[in-house]
Amino acid sequence: MSTMECEVDTNRTIEAKIVLLGSQAVGKTSVVIRYVGGMFSKHVSPTIGASFFTYKLTLDKYRIKLQVWDTAGQERFRSMAPMYYRKANAAMLVYDITCKDSYYDIKDWVKELKKNVETPIVMCLLGNKRDLEHKRRVSASEAQEYAKSIGAFFFETSALFNTGIDEAFFQMAQELVKICEMPNSGIRVLNCHGTDMEESELGSSIKLSNTKENAQNVDSETCLC
Amino acid sequence: MQDKTKVKHNRKMKRFCRKGIPAEYRPVAWMTLTNAESRMKMSPNLYRDLLARSIEPALEETIRLDLHRTFPDNIHFRSSDDFETLQVPLYNILKCIALKNPHVGYCQGLNFVTGLLLLIIKNEEKIFWLMDTLITEILPDFYNPNMKALKAEQELLGQIVKWKLPDVHDHLRILGVPWALIGTKWFICMYADVMPVETVLRIWDCVFYEGSKVLQRVAITLIALNKEKILACKDFPEAVDLIQKSVKQPPCLHCHNFMMHIFNEPGSFPRSRINSLRDTCFSEVT
Ligand SMILES: Nc1nc2c(ncn2[C@@H]2O[C@H](COP(=O)(O)OP(=O)(O)O)[C@@H](O)[C@H]2O)c(=O)[nH]1
Ligand SMILES: [Mg+2]
Repeated sequence: MSTMECEVDTNRTIEAKIVLLGSQAVGKTSVVIRYVGGMFSKHVSPTIGASFFTYKLTLDKYRIKLQVWDTAGQERFRSMAPMYYRKANAAMLVYDITCKDSYYDIKDWVKELKKNVETPIVMCLLGNKRDLEHKRRVSASEAQEYAKSIGAFFFETSALFNTGIDEAFFQMAQELVKICEMPNSGIRVLNCHGTDMEESELGSSIKLSNTKENAQNVDSETCLC
Repeated sequence: MQDKTKVKHNRKMKRFCRKGIPAEYRPVAWMTLTNAESRMKMSPNLYRDLLARSIEPALEETIRLDLHRTFPDNIHFRSSDDFETLQVPLYNILKCIALKNPHVGYCQGLNFVTGLLLLIIKNEEKIFWLMDTLITEILPDFYNPNMKALKAEQELLGQIVKWKLPDVHDHLRILGVPWALIGTKWFICMYADVMPVETVLRIWDCVFYEGSKVLQRVAITLIALNKEKILACKDFPEAVDLIQKSVKQPPCLHCHNFMMHIFNEPGSFPRSRINSLRDTCFSEVT
């Protein structure tokens, strides 16, 4: 397959799957809605099962198509989780800075991911609800330290005031771009013809035709419950 | 104790339920059809006793986290000084269910089923008994923390699709869509907070009389009605998106037509075959 007619610069598309994990009511759905939909609603229903959103952005010469998976937080849905983080390229581990238990729960998720995900997974620790400073129970320095120890990025965020969220997703996208050309990255890279640069075994991933898309454009929302 | 309120199972009653129980009779009909009424009469003090008890703080917290997230757009569920919010009876019922069924505790989704019942029946104790009857007698063990019955039910949907719509089954398998992604909320909520309310009530009219296999009829119908579009999907997100949006599409908005579809579209649906398929699926779930 020749890549001769490809425009320079934006001639690669990468497709990556990001999964959000964390306890009940820490704000996973709110973070996703803020990032993908650009808003905050006080009235979000608890997520039952999982829902996924697609989101496109452009970074350097790459078009990035993110498949963002939002999951249920209640403990008993845990046994379904492997289905959701299966073949994920990145994980956002979300806790609530006002709830110490939600922070401790992250450690279990990290263990589980390490055990069950074979391809490299980019991790990002998010301390959400940072607007509730007066109720803070988890210090930023402690979380930062922990993030470092597991090789994860770290951000404190507020879905309510829209702080830290764009930065976190941007950081993840950058990292995905960085690793995507490495062998066995598990990330699907397509050239300008929509054909695979590197045939990965992502049976469930997306074949992108060369549609025009705007950077930062909400594509679709799907409730998978 | 002789049970005078128990409803005889017969064709006439089935037709009555399938045609839609008139709104003013729903509370009485649901309580009698399910046998919840007589179960309530047999333990007249139970609800009051449970209500007086307290529950573990962790369990209470889990329930409380979902109270203000249950039908938040519905005015009756908002917190307000002007009127009594339904969050109070919602909490009471969920707490008592957890106390009566310690192996279940609280499972997300119960809030939506209970919440919708609160808009129809308006009597805490009755709803408690109806919920308890659903959990213990009518539905498979969906709310068990091990989620085995729920997973099995989703595999069962896959088996029914394979039987009724083999080409759709093959296509979704090629795209890599697992059944467990499709039905979690459909089954756990019995379509509450999934389909339009009027359609959900019509579905429940039938579930309460005919049992949980009606939920499978609804699921297979949703897929059958979108068969051509599903077959045209080229990738995994497109297919999942389509199936999930199907619950808000026109055929589901017109509840009467939709109910006709669910009893015609899938064709024969013998209870014995469904049950044996379900058993097989259950034994294969890990
Ligand atoms: N103050 C504040 N509240 C938030 C924030 N993010 C989410 N919430 C609230 O926390 C609750 C749970 O949020 P949700 O997104 O449903 O959490 P999930 O269960 O993790 O998906 C909701 O009442 C949200 O309004 C935030 O950044 N700040
Ligand atoms: Mg959620």
